[in-house]
Parts: sequence; structure tokens; C-alpha cells
Amino acid sequence: MLDTIMKTKVFGWVDRRLGLEAIIKSQLTEYPAPKNLNWMWVFGALAMTVLMLQVITGIFLAMYYKPSAMLTDGGFSVAFDSVERIMRDVNFGWLIRYMHAVGASFFFLVVYIHMGRGMYYGSYKEPRELIWIVGVVILLIMQGAAFFGYLLPWGQMSFWGATVITNLFGAIPVLGEYIGQILMGGFSVGDPTLNRFFSLHYLFPLLLVAIVGGHIHALHTVHSNNPDGIDLDQHDPKNVVTFHPYVTMKDAFAVSVFLLFYSYVVFFNPQMGGYFIEVDNYVPANNLQTPAHIAPVWYLTPWYTILRSFEVKLVGIAAMGASLAILFVYPFLDRSKVRSARYRPMYQGMVIMFFIDVIVLGYCGHSAPTETLKLVGQIATAYYFVFFLALPFLPMIEKTRPLPEGV
Amino acid sequence: MTDQTDHSRRNFLYVAAGGLGAVAGGAVAVPFIGSMLPAADTLAAATTEFNVGTVAEGQLVVVQWQGKPVFITNRTPELLAQLDGHDDKLKDANSEAIEAVQAAWMDTPEKRKNRSIKPEYLIVVASCTHLGCIPLYKPSKGRTEWGDSVPSDWAGGWHCPCHGSYYDLSARVVNGSPAPHNLHVMPYKYTSDTVVVIG
Amino acid sequence: MNMKSMLLGLVAATSMMVSTQVLASGGDMHLKHAEINVADQEQLLRGLTVFTDVCMGCHSAKYVTYKGLMDYPELGISREMADELRGDKALTSGMTTDLSPEDAKESYGKVPPDLSLIVPGRRGGADYIYSLLTGYTHDPAGKVADGNYNEVFPGHLIAMPDPLSWLDHDEADTADLEKQANDVSAFLAFIGDPHQNERRAIGGYVMGFLLLLALVLFLLKREIWKDVH
Repeated sequence: MLDTIMKTKVFGWVDRRLGLEAIIKSQLTEYPAPKNLNWMWVFGALAMTVLMLQVITGIFLAMYYKPSAMLTDGGFSVAFDSVERIMRDVNFGWLIRYMHAVGASFFFLVVYIHMGRGMYYGSYKEPRELIWIVGVVILLIMQGAAFFGYLLPWGQMSFWGATVITNLFGAIPVLGEYIGQILMGGFSVGDPTLNRFFSLHYLFPLLLVAIVGGHIHALHTVHSNNPDGIDLDQHDPKNVVTFHPYVTMKDAFAVSVFLLFYSYVVFFNPQMGGYFIEVDNYVPANNLQTPAHIAPVWYLTPWYTILRSFEVKLVGIAAMGASLAILFVYPFLDRSKVRSARYRPMYQGMVIMFFIDVIVLGYCGHSAPTETLKLVGQIATAYYFVFFLALPFLPMIEKTRPLPEGV
Repeated sequence: MTDQTDHSRRNFLYVAAGGLGAVAGGAVAVPFIGSMLPAADTLAAATTEFNVGTVAEGQLVVVQWQGKPVFITNRTPELLAQLDGHDDKLKDANSEAIEAVQAAWMDTPEKRKNRSIKPEYLIVVASCTHLGCIPLYKPSKGRTEWGDSVPSDWAGGWHCPCHGSYYDLSARVVNGSPAPHNLHVMPYKYTSDTVVVIG
Repeated sequence: MNMKSMLLGLVAATSMMVSTQVLASGGDMHLKHAEINVADQEQLLRGLTVFTDVCMGCHSAKYVTYKGLMDYPELGISREMADELRGDKALTSGMTTDLSPEDAKESYGKVPPDLSLIVPGRRGGADYIYSLLTGYTHDPAGKVADGNYNEVFPGHLIAMPDPLSWLDHDEADTADLEKQANDVSAFLAFIGDPHQNERRAIGGYVMGFLLLLALVLFLLKREIWKDVH
């Protein structure tokens, strides 16, 4: 189909001025992808899909959303009213808003699986360290965008979530007070906070799009890893297929399956039992009353547990910062020559444990703190760091399995 | 598997997928473009109720309808008399040029001249048909009150300050004005003797 | 263990945790199940009557306008009915109570919450509302005055006096009061998300379409990948 388009006169005219054919060839029709990529490799394309959905729905929501904390009748605010207007009066506003709110959760779900795939098959390892590092930057920006976005409806969870996190930064010695004030534009979360969070919530996805471009550029420079984690001759048709149509059609199928799950939640269960849109966020923000149970949205809860695992607030913040920062050095901590966990029995056990560990951390962070859960959270926090810090020593004791010659 | 069947099956699937993709794209465009149309609460506010009994004789009142200004004037018999005798100076004396300047109830020459359901109350959109400025109300005849801002044979009406368009007391545009049409008539109806619902 | 089976395991483990979590967040109180159908016009209209006759004495639903009531096909409310409901209020006005916040505070000690979003805004949703309305009992400890003790309200001490007169009602009225509580729960569930029926209806078509699309793309992918191997 692409061939027919590329033979047209119009295409020729554009091509002589843009060099389109060269791009299409190098990035699509002649770009090599390993033949043995499994279904875990579709999550990058899925993440791109959700990013696009978020940007488009967000642009349309911004046509009606009003970032103002000014009070209206019944203890509501202009911002809260504008969201309810989208839900009730704007044509299909309910659909666009649910797509956006549910999309946020799906974005993290897809990206976490994408990262898990990279960890399991060693996609962060030489020569793909920069892809991983740029990916961690993407994760941080996503978390920022999600945090800013969650304030916008100006519900109870919006308000108290923002209050807790900004106070967190306030605990940083010397600079903390200023960081808090810079984030809030005042001495507590209020109208100026809402305005700047809206501005930043609009900015961050633009950064995201640019950095995703870098992520993909880095990938296309060194080419994809594969489930065996072996180096492949990128010109040997025994090893590779062209990106288009083989991978594009596989991704298209994956996107359609993804949309089935996504649509099910959007149309039939948009709150997802309070996990995707929290119950307390249907209550307007009240700066004089904290909700009985306050926890971040599920995708931030693992880090929240790490934060809560330490008695001293500052240590908790440092640990949370370290848990994200350590992701940047992950490619350099892992000294093994073998990439894929398929051929690294010890690493395989450790990384599976790590995945379970993160889920346990998330569970603890979402639940009201009890003595048992606190202990579980502390053990899980310890393992989180042990996993990374043990990596440099692993090659000394790990006996790797022999690698296959080709695919 | 022969090459022949292989290709027709493949082409069919390509076309089917492309077709479904196009349907999906079209279906997705509906809610997004639909969301940009006026929302339900905006539509609910799309009519304006007004009691014309509150307009004093000879006076002009400007009300808002869908965010646009609307002129409501109470024309005395003298002012109504000023409508006669200058049809030859009007671009469209019978309001027939376009849809927006006429209404179904303009069914007699009298009503075409008055451009109102009740002779005294003229209700028109207050936007000059040239570029949308709001014309100034200058009802009295001649230059005594208005100086040379109006022509020497001024029959009373509106003068648009932006580019000098003139309208008579039925908001019919005068020859030589940059405005192409009479002021627009919007749909309205009387729900009682004096209460009018605009829109 | 390959990545796929591992992922399935993780999904199973997570869903187990989620389900225990949901049970746990139901709180210490077991809620009664509300018999509601947000697509049942008769129940919604009965609920609307309870809402306007009882709830609106103190509560508002400011996001639900009288014009909105007319626009929702589930309710089938005519202009005449809407005019009767609104009294002197504008058609575009929300359903607001005539009780001023100051008076409410003086009488009950707090301002009654707006009910537009009470169902999505409470854990347990419509079940919670139903259980609350039929949850007035005598304080077992005998400390709280009758009408201010509710077995499902967090802390049990509730400012809202028994709206349906559930406490000490005649045995013969039980069914009627339960019906009123159910009906108004249904109405509140409906106005909490007034496009929910439309949403589910459209969702059915979307899912059907996506299934077809996924099938075609699956066949196409398999067809194309026949070249490989």
C-alpha cells in the first residue's frame, strides 16, 4: 500500500523537497527489527498511543476547563464547576474527560510494563544505556505531569495530595522553604498553585513528546534488543524483518487489543472502583478538612511507601529521591556481559522478585498504614535497593547459560 | 498456499483494516468536534425574554441575545411616519435581499416597511452589516440635533460611527452606505401582549 | 518461566490484592444492597419526588438544572412538569434548596452537602446512601439522642435528622420506606453521572467495533507474518 503512495506524482514532488523516501526507507520499510521480538515489545507503541490520546483529549478539555479556585455556591469552586460542566453540559465532555482520566492510569500501566520488559531482557545494557536513561527522564516527566494534572479538578484529593507533596519538598534543608513557595506561589496550596499547575500540566506533555523523539532516535541508532539479548547482524534476513509492514501490523493489532481494554474501562468502569478516579475527588476541595484516608493515585504509591518507611521525614525524602535516581545508574550497576534474564538464572529470580516487590510497595502505599503493613513496606523498600546494589557483584557468582548463535 | 490466493486475501485484509481504520477515525472525530459546539447550558441560555412595555415612547433599549446586542425601539406614530417617502434612497426597501433581513411574518407591504410584528416595536440585531459595529440611534429628522454627521436629507434612523453607514427607522440601509444589507431580524415571538421571547 | 506467564502471574497477584483492598475499604460496616436501576424511568421519577419533597428541604443539587432534567431522556420530563418543579426559579437554575447556609448552620450545626455528586463521592455509592437512610437506630450506649445516631455513618454521630422517619416506624411501613430509600438512591446515582446510560450504550457499540477491528488486524498480521520463518 505504501509502495503505491510512494509511486504517485505528488509524493515525488514532496520527496524532491523533503527527502521523504529516504526517511521512510531508513525508519520504516528498511529499518531492521529482530525477527524474534515477542509480544512484550508492543508496549512502546502502546505508550505512544496513550500519549497521543492524552494530548488530544487534553487539548479539548482545556477549551472548557477553568483554573480558578474562586469559591462558588455550595462550597465548590470555578475549577470544580468547570469540570462538572464538561461532565454534564459539554457535548461528549464526559467521554473526553473519562478518556483523559482513565488514560493517565493506562499510560503508567503501559509504561511500567514497558520498563519491566527492558529490565527482564536487559534492554538497558550496553549499547542501549542512553535509551534507558532518556526513558527514566520520560518517567519523571510523566510523574510530574500526573501530579500537576491531579490538582486541576480541585477536589479533596487534588488539594490534599498537592499539599502533602509540596510539604515534602519543604522538608529539604535550606532550599525547602523556597521550593515550596515556588511550587505553591503562596504559603499554602491555593489559587496561584492551581494556575501554575495548569500551565505546567500543559507544558510537560510537550516536553514529553520532544523527549520521546530522543528516546526513539537513540533506539534507531543502536536498534532493538531481543528476547535472547544477543547481538544480531542487522542485515541478515535470517535475523531481522523490516519494521514495516511486519512490526507495524503487529503493533496495530496490539493497539486494537489495548483499545478494547481501555474502552472497557472508559465506558463501563471509569472510576475503576476508586483506583483511577478517587472517591474523595468528587468532594470539593476544603482546606479546613483532610479526608479520612489519603493516598496518592495507584501509580505513585510504590514511591509513597518508600517515603513512609522511614521515621525521619528527611531520610524518607532522600530514600524516595534515591529510589528514582538509582534508575539512572542501573545500566552501569549491572556488570554482566549477558543481557537477557533467560540466560541469567540468578538475575531472573532477582528481577521477578523486584517486580513483585514493586507491586507490594504499591499495595502498602495505597492502604491505610498499620504496623504489619509498615514492616512489609520497610522490607520491600530494603529489597528495592538491595536489588540494584547487588547487581555489581552478581557476575562473580552467577553462572550464565550459553547464548544461542542466532534467532 | 498459492501465490494467487495469498495476494487477494492479503489485499482484502489490507482494505478491510484500512476501511475500519477510516471508520474509527471518523467516529472519533464526532465527539471531539461535537464537543466544540455550544454546550447544553449555552444552548439553554440561547433565548432572551424581554418586556417591551418597559421601553418608553421614542426610546431605544439594547438587550443581549446570545451575547449579541439587540435594538428594541418604541416608535411613536410620528417616528413611524418618518418611514415613508424615501424608498428610492434605500438599497433594499422591502427587505428581500437575503434570508437574514426578513421573516415569515413580513407578509404585507406594511409589515415589510415597519419590519416588526407590532408596528411600534422594532426588534433587530444591533450589528452593522458592514463590519459589526453598533450604530448610533439618531431618530429625529434633519441636521438640527446631529449636525453634519448625517446627510442633509436625514429621515431619522441609525448612523454607524465606524465607516458611516446609515439606516432609517426600520433599520433599512441607505444608498451610499458601505453596509450591504438592512440590519438583521432575528426570530422572536410574543408570549403575551408585551413579553417577547427572542431566539 | 517466560515473561508472558510471569506477567499473567503478576496480574493474578495484583487483582487478588485489589479485591482484598476493595473489601477492606468497604469499612467496618457492612452496607445493605440498594435495589437501583438508573435506566428505570419510574424509579427515577419516584426518586425525584422523594428528592424534591424531602431532601431539597435542606440539600441542593446545584449541577442539576431544571432544563437539564428535561434534557435527560431517562426522566422524560416535559416543560410543564419542569415549570411545576422549578416554581419561581429560572429554567437554567440548579435544583437548590431554599434553606440558606446560615440558617442550616444554626439549626443543624453544619451546612448540608450538595447532593449532585453524593453517590460517586462516597465509598459504597448508592448502597451507602440507602444504608444511611435506613440506618437510624437507637444508640446502644444510650448517649446520642435519637435521630442523630446512624449505624453506617462514620463515627455514627450524624447531623442530619432521620429524613424518612425510619426510626421507630411501624412494621407495616417498612416496605414503603425501603422503597423510598431505594428510589432516591437511584435518582442520586443517576444525577451523579447523568450520561451513564448513554455511555454504556455507546460503549457496547465501541467494544463491538473494536472486536471486529482486532480480528481483522490479527488476521492481517498473521497473513503478513507468513512470509517470515
